[in-house]
Amino acid sequence: MKVTINQEGNKYSVTLEGRVDTTNADQFQKDVAVLMEASQPDIEIDCSAMEYTSSQGLRIFLQLQKNVTAHQGNLVLTRMQPHVKEVFDITGFSNIIKIM
Amino acid sequence: MRYNRSFSARLTSAILFNTSILFLAAITVVSFFSHRLIGEEAQNSAANALRSTKLDIEQTLREVEVATGELQWVILEHRDDTAMMYHITRELLESRPNIVGSAIAFRSEYHAGKHFFSPYSYRKSQSDEILSKQLGTPQYDYFQMEWYTAPMKSGKPHWSEPYFDEGGGEQLMTTYSVPLKDEKGETFAILTADINLEWLSEKILATKPYTNSYTILIGKSGHYISHQDPKKILNDNLFSEAKRSDNKNLAGLAHKMVAQETGVEKFRLNGDIVFAVYGPVGDAWSAAIISPYKDVFAPMMRMNLIIILVAAFGLFFLFAACVRTIRKLTQPITEFSVVALNMAKGNFKARLPEVKTQDEIRKLHDSFEYMQKSITSYITELKSTTIQNERFESELNIARKIQMGMVPQDFPERPDCHLSALLRPAREVGGDLYDFVFRGDFLYFAVGDVSGKGVPAALFMAMTRSAFRFLAARETPPDNLTALINQAISDGNENNMFVTLFIGKINLKTRHFEYCNAGHNPIIIISSDGTSEFLHAKSNIAAGIISGFNYQAEEMDLAPHSRLLIYTDGVTEAEDNSKAQFGDERLLDFTRAITPDEKPQEIVNQLYTKIKEFTGDAVQNDDITIFSIELDS
Repeated sequence: MKVTINQEGNKYSVTLEGRVDTTNADQFQKDVAVLMEASQPDIEIDCSAMEYTSSQGLRIFLQLQKNVTAHQGNLVLTRMQPHVKEVFDITGFSNIIKIM
Repeated sequence: MRYNRSFSARLTSAILFNTSILFLAAITVVSFFSHRLIGEEAQNSAANALRSTKLDIEQTLREVEVATGELQWVILEHRDDTAMMYHITRELLESRPNIVGSAIAFRSEYHAGKHFFSPYSYRKSQSDEILSKQLGTPQYDYFQMEWYTAPMKSGKPHWSEPYFDEGGGEQLMTTYSVPLKDEKGETFAILTADINLEWLSEKILATKPYTNSYTILIGKSGHYISHQDPKKILNDNLFSEAKRSDNKNLAGLAHKMVAQETGVEKFRLNGDIVFAVYGPVGDAWSAAIISPYKDVFAPMMRMNLIIILVAAFGLFFLFAACVRTIRKLTQPITEFSVVALNMAKGNFKARLPEVKTQDEIRKLHDSFEYMQKSITSYITELKSTTIQNERFESELNIARKIQMGMVPQDFPERPDCHLSALLRPAREVGGDLYDFVFRGDFLYFAVGDVSGKGVPAALFMAMTRSAFRFLAARETPPDNLTALINQAISDGNENNMFVTLFIGKINLKTRHFEYCNAGHNPIIIISSDGTSEFLHAKSNIAAGIISGFNYQAEEMDLAPHSRLLIYTDGVTEAEDNSKAQFGDERLLDFTRAITPDEKPQEIVNQLYTKIKEFTGDAVQNDDITIFSIELDS
């Protein structure tokens, strides 16, 4: 798993590569901590290279969404691969996180 | 293991060995050069002694020549005054103590009527008294003597070969004869001066640079004029001595000496290596100083012996000092090794040897001390960690038992419905759950999967399961049931935990099936004709996320003998070592292979076996729950 964050003002371009699973969920949480704190962030996470997420990964996405909402920001996940999108759909996460 | 050679012994041997080599080399080099130097010095000093002796002798002889030369004119002037002739010889003796006799031997009839006119003065033996007489007599016909004939014939002065004076106490003599010439150049008489050569012998024998060296003086034909053995004087000859002892080197020396050469010869003589420094003395003689080398080098040998003794003593002292010092220095190492052994046996408090120096041993001591402290603290920490871990483990084991007790392990035998389920947490405790409740003709069931694993997930699971059990006791439709569970677990969910849930309600009489899927995997319905497919329910959101979410249920009628397979994503996302997932297709293939007579228990176990076969020895990364229901008429 690799997280790359490019910040320009309150605009965050994030790329997420690889798998988010039990072994690296904590690392993922640390990597996106800066996004949780940001004020009125406009976050776009490129998920084209994301291969898998476990429920821990989902939890962090949920946490991120809640924080972004609390900070009056915006979060979009883009270019998600179908089999990953399926997980978001099944769990109902696509109802609360914007996926484009 | 036995330690045969101590460190100190090895180090000492090495030091001694190298020092000895160094000593030997130094002694050898010094010996070599001093040997050469002393050899050269000996030759020089012998040559000097020889030169000095030669000059002494030649000066004495020259004095005689000068003294006689001075008299020639006096004699010529008064040659007819016979009394004067006696006077002259007497005066010569008086003025020259080393002349023991002098004669003026006139030709026959030079003075008319005097056939043997030869005035002669000589010293009376053993006294200073000078006597005079007529030398020539019919018994002593000097006209036949060499001392007379040789200068008479050649017209030049003549030194006789040394001889023993038969009348004068067997003393070694030589005679210097000078021809006296008149105005016409004709020799009319011979002036002689007899010289005692005893002083010569003394001088020669005194020339003795080394204890066992000796000097010889030889004449024209090689006979000894001076020798340490007086019997050899005039009676022996260097040539014949060389011949007798068959010594070619000695013969060579004799030849060179007779040829009046100067030089140094080195050769073996009577078993000793000797060197002879030789050179001419006067016009006809030659002297040689013969010195054995053992004398020359004796002081050096003595010196060498002293040096070797001193070196040996020094080495012994060095040995003792080395042994003592190294023992003292390495003593702590020996003690440290004992401590190390003790530590290896578990005694980490073994007392360290005291070190007073500030060197490597000190460092070793400090390292040991540090090691002792850190090992001790590590062990203490390890002990407490182990105790803590054991406590955790035992607590977890208890928690596991409690958790397993929370999911039903007994599946009631009913004519209208068969059930079986299996839950395998990835760790001691997990976040998966299943539960069911029979109420009248209704079967309520739930399968859930809490996000994450371990203790946090287990607590959330317990909460969820309790909520289900409590709420399922009232015949609530699945959507309400889900909403209420969601409400119960959403409150105070600071960590954003969530649980995917599948809640079902089956009327066992009518086989009417109501269900609500809260973000859970689609269940599989296996029909009695062998077909099986996913039930793609409306996707609500997982429970615990949004308080007050409006969950929606769906319903359908199940065919007789339908079988349901509900599971968590631990099944489809089970991974092998290459991270490949078990997946929906394998799951569906498995269900399609199920025969109609297979009971839920068999289905559950077979699927679990199938998953294990797939994952092999890969570590289980998520909790696995399999729940199967079969409806019977």
